[in-house]
Amino acid sequence: MRFHDSVCGAVLLALAVFIFTYALTIPPMPGQQYGADVFPRMVAIGLGAFSLMLVFRGWKYSAPGTPWVAIAPWMRDPRTRGNFILAFVLTIAYVLLDDIVGFIPLGIAILMVLFVRQKVEWRKGAVIAVAMVVMTQFLFGNLLRVPLPRGILTGFW
Amino acid sequence: MDAIIQALLLIADPYVILLICLSSAFGLFVGAMPGLTATMATALLVPITFFMPPLPAMAVIVTTSCMAIFAGDIPGALLRIPGTPASAAYTNEAYAMTVKGQAETALGAGVVFSAIGGIFGTIVLATSAPLLAEVAIKFSSFEYFWLVCLGLTCAVFIALDDPVKGMLALFIGLAVALIGLENPAGLPRFVFGVTDLMSGIEMIPAMIGMFAIAEVLRIVAAATTRLPPARAISGSIFKGQWTLTKKYPKQILRGSTIGVLIGALPGAGADIASWITYATAKKFSKEPEKFGTGHVEGIVESGAANNAAVSGAWIPALVFGIPGDSITAIVIGVLYLKNIIPGPMVFVNQPAIVTGIFALFFLANLILIPFGWLAIKSAKHILAVPREILMPIVLLFCIVGAFAVTNSPFAIGVMLAFGLIGFLMEEHGFPVAPVILGIILGPMLEQNFVTSMIKSDGSFLGFFNRPIAAGLGVVTLAVWGVMLLRGLKAIRVPQTA
Repeated sequence: MRFHDSVCGAVLLALAVFIFTYALTIPPMPGQQYGADVFPRMVAIGLGAFSLMLVFRGWKYSAPGTPWVAIAPWMRDPRTRGNFILAFVLTIAYVLLDDIVGFIPLGIAILMVLFVRQKVEWRKGAVIAVAMVVMTQFLFGNLLRVPLPRGILTGFW
Repeated sequence: MDAIIQALLLIADPYVILLICLSSAFGLFVGAMPGLTATMATALLVPITFFMPPLPAMAVIVTTSCMAIFAGDIPGALLRIPGTPASAAYTNEAYAMTVKGQAETALGAGVVFSAIGGIFGTIVLATSAPLLAEVAIKFSSFEYFWLVCLGLTCAVFIALDDPVKGMLALFIGLAVALIGLENPAGLPRFVFGVTDLMSGIEMIPAMIGMFAIAEVLRIVAAATTRLPPARAISGSIFKGQWTLTKKYPKQILRGSTIGVLIGALPGAGADIASWITYATAKKFSKEPEKFGTGHVEGIVESGAANNAAVSGAWIPALVFGIPGDSITAIVIGVLYLKNIIPGPMVFVNQPAIVTGIFALFFLANLILIPFGWLAIKSAKHILAVPREILMPIVLLFCIVGAFAVTNSPFAIGVMLAFGLIGFLMEEHGFPVAPVILGIILGPMLEQNFVTSMIKSDGSFLGFFNRPIAAGLGVVTLAVWGVMLLRGLKAIRVPQTA
């Protein structure tokens, strides 16, 4: 999906307005003229100014007939759109479920789903998924002592 | 002298040598794989370097980046697909040589002149950085303020065709840097009651998101992930390289010099150096008509330039804490994690680390020749690794890598959010490198601005009272003036979207 430059500019302008308004609520540093509110205001002004330039440029000089929103080719194709959404959703699922399910089962599940989706032969995919996750667990969990959540496998090692 | 001996002893450690060999193989693989960049390779390594002492961590990053930048030439020559953006400038030329049956010469020139450019860049880094550090040690908040402004401006001014979008990307980065407690008053800003945001946005997960997740999303959203088969390289890649060295000494010197200078400019890295030097090679060539038909001259100059730029980018990073490119932006994050604050004092307090980095660059560029030869000989097999298997594995490493930095799933959320932001920005023609510069330099800019304003009792004239500050200020204002004119001109250029 590709938005018109003016739409992008308007979104960033809204962000600039939000930052500036928020900065007004930051209390000043006692006894000082320049506190934590100064820099956010400067950033908001800069962001706002360039956003306005983008809005103006998009509105004034875009090619005639340029749509406000154009659908990118990858979004039209159900396969590539699905791949994109799946990669995104699986990562969110990991964030939500890692403590409960654990790294090893979740990691294998994520890899398997993505492999099958990408048409990797499932037996080959399963071997690679298990090998990669076990290797990652060994490297990060055991050698580097990163506390990868064990979830349902707690107590197994 | 003590620092040199200490640094050499640290590098001679078998553990460091093993790491150098492993990271060489990793860098060559990632660089040779279209879609995986040198920056992505570095970002993926950060969680591992997190657990290493400083010098081995630097060994891993230096070796990986040097190897990856060269390895981008391999698929460029064999498949007409650049492995990294730094090889894109001369991909057509190298492929045209392959079509003419000169793949060995093209790839040999890539490896030999990359090594020469890299060594030239290292010599400049090792000689200029300590001298600059001696000057920088006298800098106060006024000089640093202008320096950061100049660095941020250069990133947009030099690197981009669209300065308006470049500036917006920079301001997005500065806006991200506002989050958290790290401000002169130590007040929580833009945290909305989320405890994880108190310390600000973690830089490493944000970078993994922008440079690795965005790339993964881009490849999974691509119509095809399969690469065409590559031919095997059977002949000697070194045959004729000495003749080329004697034939093109000016091109090698010019490419290396321009490469190191562009690398040293904040935000402009190996890819820009490569494009510019390919253009200069053609402009000053005695045979410009041969360019595009499989002529090696441009490969010699650009190949030297992109590896020289890798070393050049470390000059502002080490001396001022201002990243020269996206790889050194990550390096600065790693140094902070190890309680090493980049800046002139690092040359005084940790000379062995600095000398060690110089020695590592020499070593990495020397071993580039045998490792590069191996990679070229194995190219057929490397390029046969299916990306539909590789991308899910990269995603898993990104998840674990982001988690490892803070041991919190929140970091994975940050990574994903920045991955999506990076993907959307590139879809809309916004560059991502200025965002990272903004995130890194935002706190430095605010600290130096507020401190200077307090020191000068709110007078802007204070920024011009010291001679170096005044000089930097005038240069910065001049660049801003040119940018403003360019911005106004860009507004009038009809846009396609």
